Amino acid sequence: MKKRSTFLKRVSWLGMMLLLTASLAFAQNRTIKGKVVDAKDRSPLPGVTVKLKDTNTGTQTTTDGSFSITVPAASAVLEFSFIGYETKEVPAGSGGNLNVELNLSSRTLNDVVVVGYGTLKKREITSAVTSIKAEDFNQGGTRNAMDLIQGKVAGLSITRTSGNNPNSGASLQLRGVTSLNGSNGPLIVIDGIPGGNLDLLTQDDIASIDVLRDGSAAAIYGTRGNGGVILVTTKKGRSGTPQFNYSTYVQREAIAKRPDILSAEEYKSLTTPVNNLGADVDLYSMLINKNNTSHYHNFSATGGTDKSNYRASIYYSDAEGIAIRNNRKQYGGRLNINQTGLQGKLTLQLNLATNFNKADLLGGSSGDFEQAVQRNPTAPIKNPDGTFVETTAYNNYNPVARLSQELSERDQQTTSGDAKATLEVIKGLRISAFGALMRNSWNDRQYRVRASRSSQNDYQGGGYAYKRNDLVNNRIFESTIDYTRTFAIDHDVTVLGGYSYQYATGENFSANNAGFLTDAFQDWNLGNGVYLTQGKAGMGSNKEDNTLIAFFGRVNYAFRKKYIAQFILRHEGSSRFGANNKWGNFPAASLGWLLSEEDFVKRIPFINELKLRGGFGVTGNDGFGNYLSQVMLSTGGTYLQNGVWYQTYGPSKNPNPDLRWEKKQEWNIGVDFSLFNNRLGGTIDLYNRRTVDLAINATAQLPPFVTESLFTNVGTVSNKGVEVIINAIPVQTKQLTWRTDVTFNNQNNKLVSLSNGKYSINVMEFGGLPSPGALGNAIRIVEGGSIGNFYGKRFAGFTDDGKWLFYKKDGSKGQAADMTEEDKTIIGNGVPKFMASWSNNVRYKNFDLTVFFRGKFGYQLLNLQELYFANKKWLPNNLLKSATTRHAKLDDAPQYSDYYLENGNFVKLDNITLGYNFKLNTPYIRSLRVYATGRNMATFTRYSGLDPELEDNGLTTGIDSRGFYPRTRSWALGLQIGF
Amino acid sequence: MKTMKKTYITLGLAAVLAGMNACTNLDENVYSQVNADKFYNNRQEVMAAVLRPFTHANAWAAPTGQVGYWRVNELSADQLAWPQKGRHGYDGGDWIRLHQHTWTVDDPNAWNPWRLMFWGMGFCNNTIADLQKVDFKKIGMTDQDKASIIAETKVLRAWHYLKLMDLYGNIPIITTVGEPLSPPNKPRAEVWAFIEKELKDNVELLQPLAPAMVGRVSKAGGYAMLVELYLNAQEWTGTPKWDECITYCDKIINGDGGSLKGTVPALETDITKPFNNVNHTSPENLFQIAYDYTVGNFRFGWNGDLWHYNQRFAYNATFGGNNGIVVIPTAFDAFEDKDLRKSNWLLIGLQYKHPAMRNPSDPADTVLRGTEEYNGKPLIFVKEIRRNSEGETGEGGMTRGEENSGARFAKYLSGPQTDPNYWNNDFVLYRLAEIYYNKAEAIMRKNGNVATQPAVDLVNAVRKRAFSAADWPAKAYTTATLTMDEFLAERGREFIFEGKRRSDLIRFGKFTTKTWWDHPASNNDKWKIFPIPRRQMVANPSLKQNPGYVD
Repeated sequence: MKKRSTFLKRVSWLGMMLLLTASLAFAQNRTIKGKVVDAKDRSPLPGVTVKLKDTNTGTQTTTDGSFSITVPAASAVLEFSFIGYETKEVPAGSGGNLNVELNLSSRTLNDVVVVGYGTLKKREITSAVTSIKAEDFNQGGTRNAMDLIQGKVAGLSITRTSGNNPNSGASLQLRGVTSLNGSNGPLIVIDGIPGGNLDLLTQDDIASIDVLRDGSAAAIYGTRGNGGVILVTTKKGRSGTPQFNYSTYVQREAIAKRPDILSAEEYKSLTTPVNNLGADVDLYSMLINKNNTSHYHNFSATGGTDKSNYRASIYYSDAEGIAIRNNRKQYGGRLNINQTGLQGKLTLQLNLATNFNKADLLGGSSGDFEQAVQRNPTAPIKNPDGTFVETTAYNNYNPVARLSQELSERDQQTTSGDAKATLEVIKGLRISAFGALMRNSWNDRQYRVRASRSSQNDYQGGGYAYKRNDLVNNRIFESTIDYTRTFAIDHDVTVLGGYSYQYATGENFSANNAGFLTDAFQDWNLGNGVYLTQGKAGMGSNKEDNTLIAFFGRVNYAFRKKYIAQFILRHEGSSRFGANNKWGNFPAASLGWLLSEEDFVKRIPFINELKLRGGFGVTGNDGFGNYLSQVMLSTGGTYLQNGVWYQTYGPSKNPNPDLRWEKKQEWNIGVDFSLFNNRLGGTIDLYNRRTVDLAINATAQLPPFVTESLFTNVGTVSNKGVEVIINAIPVQTKQLTWRTDVTFNNQNNKLVSLSNGKYSINVMEFGGLPSPGALGNAIRIVEGGSIGNFYGKRFAGFTDDGKWLFYKKDGSKGQAADMTEEDKTIIGNGVPKFMASWSNNVRYKNFDLTVFFRGKFGYQLLNLQELYFANKKWLPNNLLKSATTRHAKLDDAPQYSDYYLENGNFVKLDNITLGYNFKLNTPYIRSLRVYATGRNMATFTRYSGLDPELEDNGLTTGIDSRGFYPRTRSWALGLQIGF
Repeated sequence: MKTMKKTYITLGLAAVLAGMNACTNLDENVYSQVNADKFYNNRQEVMAAVLRPFTHANAWAAPTGQVGYWRVNELSADQLAWPQKGRHGYDGGDWIRLHQHTWTVDDPNAWNPWRLMFWGMGFCNNTIADLQKVDFKKIGMTDQDKASIIAETKVLRAWHYLKLMDLYGNIPIITTVGEPLSPPNKPRAEVWAFIEKELKDNVELLQPLAPAMVGRVSKAGGYAMLVELYLNAQEWTGTPKWDECITYCDKIINGDGGSLKGTVPALETDITKPFNNVNHTSPENLFQIAYDYTVGNFRFGWNGDLWHYNQRFAYNATFGGNNGIVVIPTAFDAFEDKDLRKSNWLLIGLQYKHPAMRNPSDPADTVLRGTEEYNGKPLIFVKEIRRNSEGETGEGGMTRGEENSGARFAKYLSGPQTDPNYWNNDFVLYRLAEIYYNKAEAIMRKNGNVATQPAVDLVNAVRKRAFSAADWPAKAYTTATLTMDEFLAERGREFIFEGKRRSDLIRFGKFTTKTWWDHPASNNDKWKIFPIPRRQMVANPSLKQNPGYVD
């Protein structure tokens, strides 16, 4: 048997050799020419590697994407590969011409991931990093760059608490609360500029957004890494045929759900005749900008050679909110220039971006919408003589009057410029210097006419004017050195070292005056009001600064490209820290094992990629105020000194020379996989983080300290969770592709400690409930408890005459006045335990359809609108209809209890987009796409309020406040054209 | 090639290192605040620190919107209350607990006065320490200036301790900021002795009261503190000090402490004058927080606590009210109708709009109107605190108020906004009338709680102003009519709204034994002092809780 097999082997080898020789001998060499273009925008792709499969024969495409290669036979297969694109194999065929389209790819191990001070290939990543490329962004009109990835990153909570208000931002939080007092949001880095301004980004200028979710990756940003890091990379110049791109959309919004309030007739039946003022007014509708239209235009040009290239874009957008006097117009541009010289050793990259915006800040305030619900619906807006009607009830004002008699505008300019020079000293060793300047300035102006309620009541009938100027400057210098080399074939090493200096200043000046004789000047003749001469005009100015300095290093090592390790150390100091603790160290280590490179896994046919990874990292947070470690003397009002009223000065806080960074230690383990021909892939991460030394105002021993609190490091918070991302391609045919992505995360936040042995605080409370009634704080956290716990009374029913009954601690029932502190308990929690999203992308021929769902689960909401407005005691103000239905039995002053807590679970159909890509046979138009998007199309929830998606980041979570900016459905029609 | 590479490397590393060495300086540059190192360069800066605790006393000694000494000393007593009025004023039950003496160790009413008053005391300690380091000659001041300023600050500090001891009894004694970190609290008698020593050691170093000393601690003010300390000595230490009390009363009455007008303090004949918007000139006032809205932009803001939302329209004033504190019905009834203090200092009945605030095109716009139960209807303050709009009868109660319940505060009036002295009222802490009453009380207590003619004369001298000449003969006290109970009632009438009632009730033995309106007698002496606030008990393990309170 043995002999025979050897013989057979030999024979077959011989046969193969013969065949091969024969085929070579008889093959007819032929030249294949062709062009490689981007499948989406059909731009030529220069530098694509074109290789004869399984050989070393190959070439690269030229600047116009064309190539020419000699192949031995028609049956040969050509392999086209290019960084950032999916590799494609095409049979050479018999024809002489071959045009190839390459698809951008986001899911291959060779994808480039931005990790701060450099990039890594996806295969080299050993920590929890999410990379979202432009084609996966949320589509349609966005108000903010972060809207593009809302719901796309497992563990990243992006909440727009004021809906689509063009003048408000989103709150961001990654993997739960990591600070009790400082900032919780991730660090935003735009093209390497830490703390970059989101205003400088439009949706068409962004190439990718990478999110460093765990500490082992974020440690490279040291004292700013606790909240995670979001790295935004803008589109850069590319060589090749010059291109123009134009992108635009028009958007309309409509209210998703209106508060259900009593009509004038219903109101009259509930109240005394004296409150019937005769009219029938739908105030809510009067605050709505029914014909709102937002539009956006971005025009860009790019071109150049492989030695020097550029991209420039300009944009204009006019965003109108759903509320009147609530809009934002902005325009600006972005310029990127790259040049390589000195025999390819020196590269220079320049970026310049600016944004001018003008915002009408008057409308859209929550106070106005609170009035819209509670104002007497029989009260006319105007008197017959044209003056406005002010209702007299407590805390009432006429919002229509305010919106027509006042003015509040902001005029802002933000600019950022940066330059980076890199010199390749020897092969693999590069040094670079990076400098950036950011300047953000804005002028606010306000005026209230003489007839306005404010002027009449508070300024003796003279107009009121206010101006404020702010200027924030940031200067950054960083130098780095890095070295990449492969030793002895098996050892890939990259070493990075650097220094970073960042100096920030903020200054402002403000002044107000009142008692203007005429409305003619508005705020443009500020000295003209008599309050200045009476000494009652106001003036203020302020300036602060802070400095961050760091030394950092990173080592990436891979053995045989399958055992991968990364080590990071950042040594960083902040001027905000106390004299005894200026500098901190932030180390991290992470390991990865690319199992799919192991032979025993390669044998399993359905596994394409499989990686295990785990890491530990220490990061910090200096996101608290300046000067908090020092005693400062602050003003305390004027007092009489020898007949003159001078300011008094005294210490405003206690000193803490030991103040230091908040420190997070985080473990993360994860697995990345891609199966069944890359049709099913995903990532699972488990994390356990513990943030210690949380800086809060702890109770100081008083006496001997002067003030009641000491800003010091006392708290500990733990967050645990799991994040799952699944990508699947259930259908993939030539005509039809369906891609679906699911993200899911679960999180658990716990307050471990509020003490450091020397100082402590017993409870922290948040969510103060507004007057009337001063019902106290809704949220309380204690040591060992969850973040976001609602703490209050337990509802036990109503008495026969509609008075509140609550449970006492011992289980008996009592009325509101019988309740004491000890009868309160944990009654709910406002932080979602689970968040999930489901994205579907279907391509059929030239059509594409995106359907995106998003949801949050496992939390409660405190419905303050019901608490205050759905209560007959709120009369003579208007009520919600539920006061007469669901809460009809209630006849008692408002009380906070679990009666008003509701389940917040929801699923939103957040985005539907239908697009069509025209394939035009014209040399003038390279690509043309039109699309229609609907956002916030439907909300599936049992929550009775207007929208269950409320602030769930930070410490004041799950409270549906009284005034509520309308949430909208928005419709956008868009066009993207490349030529 | 090789040397070329070396040069590159050297140059490269040099560039990077140059960058790294660039700067490691992490100093904070202070622009809009100032720290002590850069302060105290002239007399004004020194005085700015000396005067800081005075402006701070605005927060706790006067009814200006915070829970300080004033609020707890009035709202726990039998004259003033903050009842719930419909949907307003429940405020977590804070005012109900204060009224009914059911506060807890967690109570904001226990914590906030402690917080504010020890904070003010800390300013004094801080100033004394900072001034020790200042070279007074270098900034053109004399050693005498220094001694006088430090003496004034020490007396002011003693006054903080006096008021803290009144509320909490057993408190830590601290004279250096930050040391020790966790001080124990001392028995009340020890605190009392410390205050007496500090006052006596320093009071004679003070300037006499004079117009230039308005709002400052003068000899007269220091003597008044000693009067209070001695008058309450029996309650606070168990040892009476009636003679010492009388001695210091006499020093004030004789003019040894100076006066705001002339050389000797004098009673006003017009009962509004100690409180009006030029009361910095009243010879009756001995120690006050000085305010000046028109020039100093520093204002005694009683409006928030004490005014109805629309009350300002009655005065043509610019600051609104929160409709909080009102007069308890029984306290209102304790005034006779002929008592001018009732008609001048309390507000009852229909309220009219100031002519300047009326809508000229609406002839009916003459009265104040309600915004809640009486929305749109004329605002008529009634003495009852009950749901009149729902037909309720009887005594009412702390949760039964309406927007017009209870007589209102009118003791201090701002004047209209057109007045050149608009809202310049000083808040009076000690005035001569109180010294008269205190001396009379000391005399009576020495005399077995029975009035003597000198005591009656002192009380009548003050009381006489409150009645017309025609009414007076029937209203004057005699040694027979001025009983201790009557004296307590009379003190209430004279000093209503002045932040003194709880202390008086305790000294007269009524605070825990008397029942008034919605307050049942507790008959438990633990309520005479407030608990050490729990959050300080947690922060400072050396503190011992006051008797009867459980942490």
